[in-house]
Amino acid sequence: MLLDYDRMGWLKIALLGFTALVAAFLLLPVVFIVLLSFGSSRWLAFPPPGWTLKWYRDLFADPSWLEAALTSARIATMTAILAVMIGLLASFALVRGQFRGREILRGLLLTPMVLPVVVFAIAIYAFFLRLGLGGTSIGFVIAHTVLALPFAIIPIATALEGFDKSIEDAAIVCGASPFEARLRITLPSIRIGIFSAAIFSFLASWDEVVVAIFMASPSLQTLPVKIWGSLRSDLSPVIAAASSLLVGLTLALMVVTALLQRKVKT
Amino acid sequence: MPAGFNSLLPALVLIVLFFVVPVLALLLRSVTEPEPGLQNYATLLGDGTYARVFFNTFLVAAVVTAVTVVVAFPVAWMLAIMPSALASIIFGVIILSMWTNLLTRTYAWMVLLQRTGVINRALLAIGIIDQPLPLINNLTGVTIGMVYIMLPFMILPLVGTLRAIDPMTLRAAALCGASPIQAFRRILLPLSLPGLAAGGLMVFVMSLGYFVTPALLGGTSNMMLAEMIAQMIQSLLNWGLGSAAAFILLVVIMALYALQLRLVGARRMTGGI
Repeated sequence: MLLDYDRMGWLKIALLGFTALVAAFLLLPVVFIVLLSFGSSRWLAFPPPGWTLKWYRDLFADPSWLEAALTSARIATMTAILAVMIGLLASFALVRGQFRGREILRGLLLTPMVLPVVVFAIAIYAFFLRLGLGGTSIGFVIAHTVLALPFAIIPIATALEGFDKSIEDAAIVCGASPFEARLRITLPSIRIGIFSAAIFSFLASWDEVVVAIFMASPSLQTLPVKIWGSLRSDLSPVIAAASSLLVGLTLALMVVTALLQRKVKT
Repeated sequence: MPAGFNSLLPALVLIVLFFVVPVLALLLRSVTEPEPGLQNYATLLGDGTYARVFFNTFLVAAVVTAVTVVVAFPVAWMLAIMPSALASIIFGVIILSMWTNLLTRTYAWMVLLQRTGVINRALLAIGIIDQPLPLINNLTGVTIGMVYIMLPFMILPLVGTLRAIDPMTLRAAALCGASPIQAFRRILLPLSLPGLAAGGLMVFVMSLGYFVTPALLGGTSNMMLAEMIAQMIQSLLNWGLGSAAAFILLVVIMALYALQLRLVGARRMTGGI
């Protein structure tokens, strides 16, 4: 009866209790950081002696934070667009193509997800130094697209595998060109996969620390590089304020995702 | 969009030009700098200091994997069978934690675990300890921070594995007189083993090469491999030694990746995320 929720007795209570504890553990740092960002203690004492918006004012008073956030947003957007376009094309080949070595190529394209980022980071850093792309936006976008590609291919390929190709064939029989059939029948049907791919590849770039640390230059810093630098010098509450805004962004992204998924289901 | 090989070309060009070539060029440096030969590898494998870094790395990865598997299993089990309204709340928490900026989460743990942090204060207040525990700048801090990051990667695929198990098999076991412990040991656990092995291997591989959390929560005296590689390149500018260390890490991880592909198959694994 171990998989019958209603007939597990005390075991269910114990396991649910444990699950609640783990959920609390997962939630703890996120909630903590938001509370801390409103706390008045410079030394991050908790519970804080009072509440303040000072750290948010400090954050917005320093233009380098906003600049870093805008740089990150720009690079992550370009990365997401590129990764989704390249990933979409690759997914069609990987799912439907009939050629030798398809499985090996699939493995190759997904390798950036498995290889430790630090290895890729120093490799691409050295490579871009020679090409003169170190510390440039283009360099960032290329490196992040490599890292984001697996996260774009996986959801799109999964969606495409679940799509019944005979519907597309039917459109062609009814007179649509193959391109038109893909554009107007297949793409809308796998839009959840494409949307997930866009979110994942955006996050892969937006959150990326290691390549960014190596690639960044004084004139080009992404948000993670800015946070990393501040973390290494001190644990200022301004980081908590910046972090809380990032948590807010994550929540917004989750709500949008949930709404879109609901819309698709109905 | 041709469905044949052609539409794979942009991805292949990107990966070959900006992934395969740079990584191979890096590996070449490990046998050519400062002079041709294998002396970098000899240094890394022959020196006790480096041996300790390798040992630390494997130790932390193994402990993190073990803890993650044990903690994730009951959660995934409940998520697989609980009413969907309740499950979606827990899933929400997991996604929130997973999607929150990595540095944000690590920063939170730095503050929580420090000597005067909330956790030490709470333990002192309850009276479990009478002086603050050293929870940060050591392997304890690294382990806590890494388990936190890895849990979603273990829980989410495991829910899929558990959901695919037919509850009838366990009902049958109970009807035939199996005690819950027997049913767990002889049916539920073996049936979820593929998911556990795949997830565990993934967590182990990710932990081996992890950089951010060990660098921020770990101490200088017990460095992990990824951190050491970054330091060799960034601070010491020793490209030969750094790329040799990177190559060793790469070989270990690729071997484990191959094992994982054999174990679960590329399709199953990629569908897991």
